[in-house]
Amino acid sequence: MDREKAPVFRVSRWMLVFSTATLAIITASPLVWMVSASFKQPNEIFNSSLLPNHPTLDNFRYVFTQLPFLRYILNTFFVAGTITVIALLFHSMAGYAFARLRFPGRETIFLIIFSTFLVSLQVIIVPLFILVQKMGMVNTYAGLIIPVTFNAFGIFLMRQFYLGIPPDLQEAAIIDGASYWGIYWNIMLPLSRPILSALAVFFFLVNWNAFIWPLTITTNQDLWMVQLAIASFQGQYSAAWNYIMAASVVVAMPTLVLFFLFQRQLVESIKTTGIK
Amino acid sequence: MAEIKLENSSSDQLSRAIEGISRRELLKKGGKAAAVVTVSSIFSPFFIRTARAATKTLSFWQFYAPNGASGLQSKWFVDCVAAWNATHDVKVELQYVPNNEYMNGTKLQTAFASGRGPDIFIISPGDFLRYYNGGVLTELTPHMEEEAKKDFFPNVMETRMVAGKIYGLPMEVEPMAMFYSVKAFDEAGLSEKDVPKTWDQFLEMAHKLTKGNRFGCLFETTPGYYQTFTWYPFMWQGGGDIATPDGKKSAFNSPGTVQALKFWQDTIKQNVASRNYLGGGVWDVVANLGSGYCAMQNVGIWAVSALRENAKDFQYGVFPLPVPPGGTPKSDLGGWSFVANAKGQNPEAAAKFCVWALGSMQEDSIQRVVDWCTKAKSDVSPRKSALERGTAAGGYSSAPMKMFKDEIFPTGRGEPRVPPEVYKTISDSIQACQLSGADPKKTAEQGAQQIDSFLAGYTGAPLL
Amino acid sequence: MDDQARLSVDGLEPPSGGGARRRAVQRRGRTYWTRSRKEALAAWLFILPDFVGLLIFVAVPMALSLSLGFFSVDGFGGYKFIGLANYNRMFHDPLFLESIEVTVVYVVCLVPGLYVTGLGLAMLVRQRIPWIGVWRSLFFMPYVVSLVVIALIWKVLLIDKIGFINQMLELVGFQGRSWLGDPKLALGAVLAVTIWFLMGYYMIIFLSGLQEIPREYYEAAKIDGANPWAMFTNITLPLLRPTSFFVILVSTVAAVSGSSAFDLIYVMTNGGPANSTSLAVFYIYEQAFKFNNYGYAAAMASSVVVILLAITVALFALTRGGRFHLG
Repeated sequence: MDREKAPVFRVSRWMLVFSTATLAIITASPLVWMVSASFKQPNEIFNSSLLPNHPTLDNFRYVFTQLPFLRYILNTFFVAGTITVIALLFHSMAGYAFARLRFPGRETIFLIIFSTFLVSLQVIIVPLFILVQKMGMVNTYAGLIIPVTFNAFGIFLMRQFYLGIPPDLQEAAIIDGASYWGIYWNIMLPLSRPILSALAVFFFLVNWNAFIWPLTITTNQDLWMVQLAIASFQGQYSAAWNYIMAASVVVAMPTLVLFFLFQRQLVESIKTTGIK
Repeated sequence: MAEIKLENSSSDQLSRAIEGISRRELLKKGGKAAAVVTVSSIFSPFFIRTARAATKTLSFWQFYAPNGASGLQSKWFVDCVAAWNATHDVKVELQYVPNNEYMNGTKLQTAFASGRGPDIFIISPGDFLRYYNGGVLTELTPHMEEEAKKDFFPNVMETRMVAGKIYGLPMEVEPMAMFYSVKAFDEAGLSEKDVPKTWDQFLEMAHKLTKGNRFGCLFETTPGYYQTFTWYPFMWQGGGDIATPDGKKSAFNSPGTVQALKFWQDTIKQNVASRNYLGGGVWDVVANLGSGYCAMQNVGIWAVSALRENAKDFQYGVFPLPVPPGGTPKSDLGGWSFVANAKGQNPEAAAKFCVWALGSMQEDSIQRVVDWCTKAKSDVSPRKSALERGTAAGGYSSAPMKMFKDEIFPTGRGEPRVPPEVYKTISDSIQACQLSGADPKKTAEQGAQQIDSFLAGYTGAPLL
Repeated sequence: MDDQARLSVDGLEPPSGGGARRRAVQRRGRTYWTRSRKEALAAWLFILPDFVGLLIFVAVPMALSLSLGFFSVDGFGGYKFIGLANYNRMFHDPLFLESIEVTVVYVVCLVPGLYVTGLGLAMLVRQRIPWIGVWRSLFFMPYVVSLVVIALIWKVLLIDKIGFINQMLELVGFQGRSWLGDPKLALGAVLAVTIWFLMGYYMIIFLSGLQEIPREYYEAAKIDGANPWAMFTNITLPLLRPTSFFVILVSTVAAVSGSSAFDLIYVMTNGGPANSTSLAVFYIYEQAFKFNNYGYAAAMASSVVVILLAITVALFALTRGGRFHLG
């Protein structure tokens, strides 16, 4: 469609490309410092030059030799991935019910669920830890995964999304004899691919970068997640910044790649299919 | 992986419950069974956990990372625990908690609040009252020989004792001083002889050294407990104190306090000190002094080993903290100590471990303190015998270490132990004057009132 | 198709439910299982997994935690019931009141800031221009890096004299400032970093919200000769209401009790200089984990939750549950 526009539009289109690119580069520029620092020698870290004078890969080598970093990355992949998959399923189910099904007390129950979103982890961490400990989940993957899978944010986001889907779609399906599960699974889920991609990115990232809960629930270093490793680098007496930054780059890379792959899904046009 | 086993009881029930939930939710008569299999198979094999430590194993929490930048230091801990385990039935297991989390995070607090605190851990005097008043410190005195008790320097032990009983054994003494960059001095045409003795000289010197992108001096600016620790000596020099000797009333509103608040304020007002720092904090000497961000830095003895390990070629000098007119030289003695959890699995064995490690007259115990203070780190030894031995072995022969041992340590006072509410008040007072330009006299008055009103309802062990 | 046949027989196939329940359905027949009853049952079953999970892992700990507000808790197993003393103390604690003030300023600046930047970016990267995936990724990039590292990076960029920001300012003839060391500037600096960090996140939420608006609306408007601004105010904004509602509510809650605000302040300023960045969430944390005043911290946390809940309920009431005209 865009290609059919008049030439005037093309000029402004290039302006648009240019300004978007400039803005994007400015936004990301502070992170260039991070990447650059990860290639610097220790004594260069605090000099103001943006590029390393004598680039070195030693920092990355150090990161991988000093700690079983690969193991932490795999742990984190497993934990964050599992949480994301389960959360997407459960939250989209609940979100659909709150948005598109009518039942007594719907708004009240939703508000109650939403109110669990109002406290931060630090507020509930002591009782939560005691509870999870009683369930025997200290130092287990289950302990890393289950307690943090449930949250009201995802339900709320999915609900808001499903509210935007025209109700006639569901009505038509019911007249055709579809079950509610069928509507959810065959109509709603495929329609919500963009929002599910967004939620997948968020959940994966949040859990990839999770710190306080993994720290609290594990004492066994075999179960460590990546942020604990970064905190550990950072916690040395003579802050070894080149290592911190190298570790951060290593840790940020997989998530960035993931986002790059997923971003196409985020804008997949859905409204042209199925509905007039 | 030997200690990892499948848990059978409660976790299995839970995994069954979860399978149940997922089955009910996912199962669409006859269809989608595959999804159920996937979900449940993700869960069930992962209810593994480390075998719960038998009561015969004590946990020992500390913040020296295995390997990493503090390799020698963590090796010292590993060796210490290995030596104990080789000769004792009750084993000790080291548990590492990252530094920031150990000092300011939730990990320890959550563990204690849920009744699962470590059996042995390390604390600094600033945390002593929190744990002592919480009833989790075990008395170590019964396990100590008389001779060993006398072997520790009294000014170091004070803040680890209540009513003559010892509750913590220090592994190190860390006095505060000023470090300066030789290069910055050279550039300003100054030499070792020009080292300032008074506050006025210091400020004058800082002006000369402030040039281009470099600040003349650097004091801690982050609010909190470490900032108060570094500021106390300036208050003491002029006779100021937090509380009266009996610890019942505030002594904060005194000329000594006011002038110390004003001195730190002057360094900022006159633009010779930074309001900020590089690296982890103002304790971080390599990132600040070492990088040329400042010419003089208020930091402790640990900076010697930090520079030795991470900035070998950096030329520096050390001088005692300057004093106000008519003031007496003072330094603040920090350092961490081993303590045993009175609510742990086996407090007696934990206490024995602490004493065995650092506080017995046995050869290996003394040598351990020597090794920590002169090889793993650069600290003054808390024990007379270990200090002598370390000196004989050349641990204090370098100029900075000699300066610390002979000139600064004798002027030292143990890091005060105060309840968190009190250090918060002091920290707020310092911040208000230093960074907000508040009037030192009024601030000291208000601070004293707040401390008084807190102490009126305070029933814990005395402040020191 | 097999699926289709089964669906039409049952009319309602509950998403789960054991055989027993289904048998009950059949026994009682269709008169009991009216459509609305079926719908309610289905809804409950859809909600159940999350409901149970939230109950066990959030609601129960939350109730336990907040009820500590009536106790004096030392964090080592000592509890003492003290009634409303903690709540009383709160109103006489200048530091808490100050932290509430800081929080209000923070929220009032952060929420609109995130709304505008998030929506702006979403409109920008919604366009089909070359390399759009790269630009989107760059905008989102800050959010990918852990907050602690972000805070460390900005500390260096904002540092006095030699920081990149000050060097740039001096280059164009301005005087450098102590962004994080001056009580007048620190909160602003923290706010700017927070917006920079979070805007990519809200960009994505808006982006998926924008996708829901049928393209046909714009095409119709274009035929009618509407200019871009008119299309924005007459189509985009109204149709974006459910998303906007979500963004405003979530960013408000996040600003008051969220970890992004906490982590940044924890590393960048530790509440300083002179308490100028001591948000309520930070002060509560200090009271609990540094001062071992768990009871007092719980009392303050409960008050914050009550305030947030009031805001939420008001917003829900005003917007008919965030449905607006669509529901």
